[in-house]
Amino acid sequence: MKRFFRDLRKYWDYIQYETRASLKSEISGSYLGWIWLVLEPLCFMLIYTFIAGVVFGSKTDYFPIFVFAGLSIWNFFNKTVTSSVKLVAANRDIVTKVYVPKFILLLVRIFVNLFKMFVTFILLIAFMIFFKVPISWNILWVIPIIICTIIVTFGVSSIFMHFGVFIDDLVNVTAIGLKFMFYLSGIFYQISTKVPKPYNTILLCGNPIAFLIKSFRDSLIYCSGVHIIILLAWFGIGIILSIIGIRTIYKYENTYVKVMRG
Amino acid sequence: MENNKREIAITIEDLHIYYKDIKRFSLKSSGLSGFNSTVFKAVKGISFEVEKGEIVGICGKNGSGKSTTLRAIAGIFSADHGKIDLHGNSISLLSIGVGFQRKLTGYENIFLSGMLLGFTRNQIKEKLDEIIEFSELGDAVYKPVRSYSSGMYSKLAFAITAILETDIMLIDEVFSVGDIKFKAKSYNKMKELISDDDRTVIIVSHSSKTLRELCDRVIWLHDGKIKEIGPSDEVVDHYEAFMAEE
Repeated sequence: MKRFFRDLRKYWDYIQYETRASLKSEISGSYLGWIWLVLEPLCFMLIYTFIAGVVFGSKTDYFPIFVFAGLSIWNFFNKTVTSSVKLVAANRDIVTKVYVPKFILLLVRIFVNLFKMFVTFILLIAFMIFFKVPISWNILWVIPIIICTIIVTFGVSSIFMHFGVFIDDLVNVTAIGLKFMFYLSGIFYQISTKVPKPYNTILLCGNPIAFLIKSFRDSLIYCSGVHIIILLAWFGIGIILSIIGIRTIYKYENTYVKVMRG
Repeated sequence: MENNKREIAITIEDLHIYYKDIKRFSLKSSGLSGFNSTVFKAVKGISFEVEKGEIVGICGKNGSGKSTTLRAIAGIFSADHGKIDLHGNSISLLSIGVGFQRKLTGYENIFLSGMLLGFTRNQIKEKLDEIIEFSELGDAVYKPVRSYSSGMYSKLAFAITAILETDIMLIDEVFSVGDIKFKAKSYNKMKELISDDDRTVIIVSHSSKTLRELCDRVIWLHDGKIKEIGPSDEVVDHYEAFMAEE
């Protein structure tokens, strides 16, 4: 663990620079450039709002914001986990030529997606002003919720990143798993009212993303507090997963290059 | 060389590197048959020491474990058996295009590469002009790398690693970079870098000229083992004779 923080300090500059560079290179290729950062979540919000609101006749207060808040957290988690599986292979040029602690690559992805999430947050604030959503001091819960989201995402991704090097099929498995999780996270419906009695509680406690999204909405839109114990529990689990992930990566990262040769 | 004992920069003891063939199994094939781990031994127990300031060449035919050894010394992968001790020196593997992002400009890539090699932003800034000048790219350095010709690409890569200096430099056949003029220039730059008494260099090369002119000693690897180690001319003579027979 000491090594983790030492490496973190050593490569901090690189992480920052590479994050900026990655964002820039993603943006520079397309005609609309940075507008996509706003346009993409906006379009998805419209699609889900349409499907849930019109097709399924859902009635929730501030529905577009409700969907948007869910999507911003989900996208962060989804994009990071998805890219983590193929992360080492995607950075082949770096990994085969210079030693770099492999979790650094993951942190770059996290920061890239974090930046995108913050862009959607700006949009979210604009929406809230537009719809005149009332706010309270409970909105401050957003900060620990986001920190918890980052840690859980890092933990899960680091483990996927490790196995992704060795197991080709993991791409398919995660794609299916994430899709399932997407529907179980209540992004365009309210788990507590739409899911029958015992299952909704199980889902909200057992699925970290569902819980985090619900808490995020509660504090942001509905002026209520969050379930501190569950938040702390997921915080703890996230830390444990991260430690396991970092340890495993440190232990095996030297063999990654050898495996990739084939 | 002087007679008094010099500081040792690299110690390698009984280095073994294996490629296990359990690589990238898919779920289907691994479930029933278990691991059929055929082990390919790339490097089988080599030991040598390099003194500080010495220039050592490594030759050998394709697949003899040259590049594998070099990468192991650079820390890209670990030894399966044996030890590599760098005695606290900083090290870089001079190879083409470390971490280049094709959509970004050459200028930005200089920073990315440099940071990956362990330099701070300020250290790179100091050397920036020198790198750009050496790479001969001129204003093209502000254009995305994907628009570069392969020659320009290599020049930039060479310039970055050649000018950002480390205590130990590992060089993997880079003299075939760019046009004739740049080749001569990079060769001379290499000579200049190497002539620095404190810098330790290991060069992997097929070129007898490079080995003879630049190196103090040459190690001839064959099938993952050291076949011969000694003064450049002697070893290169034997190596050439051996290759001619094959």
